[in-house]
Amino acid sequence: MGAPFDIGYVFSFLPKLLDTLGVTLLIVAGSLLTGIVAGFLVALPRMYKIPVLRTLSGVYLSFFRGTPILIQLFLFYYGLPEILKLVGLDLTRAPVMFFVILTYGLHTGAYAAEMIRASVEAVDRGQVEAAYAAGMTPYQAFSRIILPQALGIAVPVFSNLVIALLKDTSLAFTLGVMEMTGKAQTLGTLTQHFIETYIALAFIYLIISFTLEKMLLAAERRLTRHENREDKRESIFRLKKRGSYRTVLADINIGKGGGA
Amino acid sequence: MIALSHISKAFGRNQVLQDISLNVNRGEVVVILGPSGSGKTTLLRCVNYLEKPGSGQIAVGDFQVDCSRARRGDVLQLRRKTAMVFQQYNLFRHKTALENVMEALLVVKKLPAAEARKRSIALLEKVGLGAKLDEYPSRLSGGQQQRVGIARALALEPEVILFDEPTSALDPELVGEVLEVIRAIAREGITMIVVTHEMGFARDVANRVVFMDGGVIVEEGTPDEVFQHPKEERTKQFLRRITPEANYSI
Repeated sequence: MGAPFDIGYVFSFLPKLLDTLGVTLLIVAGSLLTGIVAGFLVALPRMYKIPVLRTLSGVYLSFFRGTPILIQLFLFYYGLPEILKLVGLDLTRAPVMFFVILTYGLHTGAYAAEMIRASVEAVDRGQVEAAYAAGMTPYQAFSRIILPQALGIAVPVFSNLVIALLKDTSLAFTLGVMEMTGKAQTLGTLTQHFIETYIALAFIYLIISFTLEKMLLAAERRLTRHENREDKRESIFRLKKRGSYRTVLADINIGKGGGA
Repeated sequence: MIALSHISKAFGRNQVLQDISLNVNRGEVVVILGPSGSGKTTLLRCVNYLEKPGSGQIAVGDFQVDCSRARRGDVLQLRRKTAMVFQQYNLFRHKTALENVMEALLVVKKLPAAEARKRSIALLEKVGLGAKLDEYPSRLSGGQQQRVGIARALALEPEVILFDEPTSALDPELVGEVLEVIRAIAREGITMIVVTHEMGFARDVANRVVFMDGGVIVEEGTPDEVFQHPKEERTKQFLRRITPEANYSI
């Protein structure tokens, strides 16, 4: 299909695609924010076993985790205005971006809810008892004892969530949003160099995913540093030991040192 | 100074505590013994409301609460007059030894940081951990963790410290160091209620031993009375099973 392969196009497409990076990142950031708020709202009734709300949360989770994101996008974009019309709310003039962020946000919320619940429950119950026994209020126990540890536990899951979301945003073009994938489609159609656009596109996604992953890994290390059994001094020491391969080959015992 | 009156507690249909009354005087060390499932840990946990008693009254110092109508404020006040040392230590894992001891001083007692720090360092030195102030619990042995737990309880300056099987989770060779610390603070006249299986410890430290079985107090008295001259058949049976040497010692 299209024109013969020309590597030059990959490089010329990169800056053009990067122009729309802002749109992609806006969807990611907006959805994450919506998702975390939704996640808390859904996770709380499940953690505290509130009767009716808990069932509703279950339905929410099943829907957003059990149906494809593409279908969800269509349902929200085409269906929601129709339903809201019945109650007298006119959304037909709302920007597409609103529907995109709402859908991705609620979708992310389902996974965020499970992430929040699992990480809070992973913090050992005994520490909460210790906090209560010392006279802390439930709020103090949550904010000072549970939350800091739950954050560390949540980061690896959160990292997956963010990267999955980043990749999922590539479907927003189906509603006509000009984000990176949408732009790539257009560039491909214009120039007939489809392969080159997709190579450039994949490269950008890869770099962003990689950067996000590294940043979140650093955050995880920082948040769970209390579980590190080795302190820094020791780890540097071990690195040196391993690095001293040549001294082993040369049969030098640096421990003894000096003379003879 | 601590008075439990007519405490009852059930988990579903299982009646764990039946109308228990117990007084502990200021400075007294009371050890609660009993087979597993006798309700001794539940009784201890009722004192600071980690377990909600079904009925009865709890008085600690000058504060009294009726369990059938205890409000959140009452529970908080009760907990601020007591401290607990747990079987599984339950240290805050994201905080260093020093921060563990300081935490409640800062958050509950609202002491200035410098003051809380000074007091916490003194307490950690007292339990022999002056060199481990900045270590996280994951880098401390069980015995060291439990000693931090004891320092954390002491920091609150409670009316009573509740010990819930403080040495049961420890390797045998680490039990001694923890018991030594508890002995030392017992000598200082701090009121303590201790649930334990360490019979030797109970014998030298307790002012009074309480034997529980089936949710009731079967027998109580001085260690000598309970260990050497038990009156009740159930106590005798229990002691025979748990300390075969009890008949010969002393």
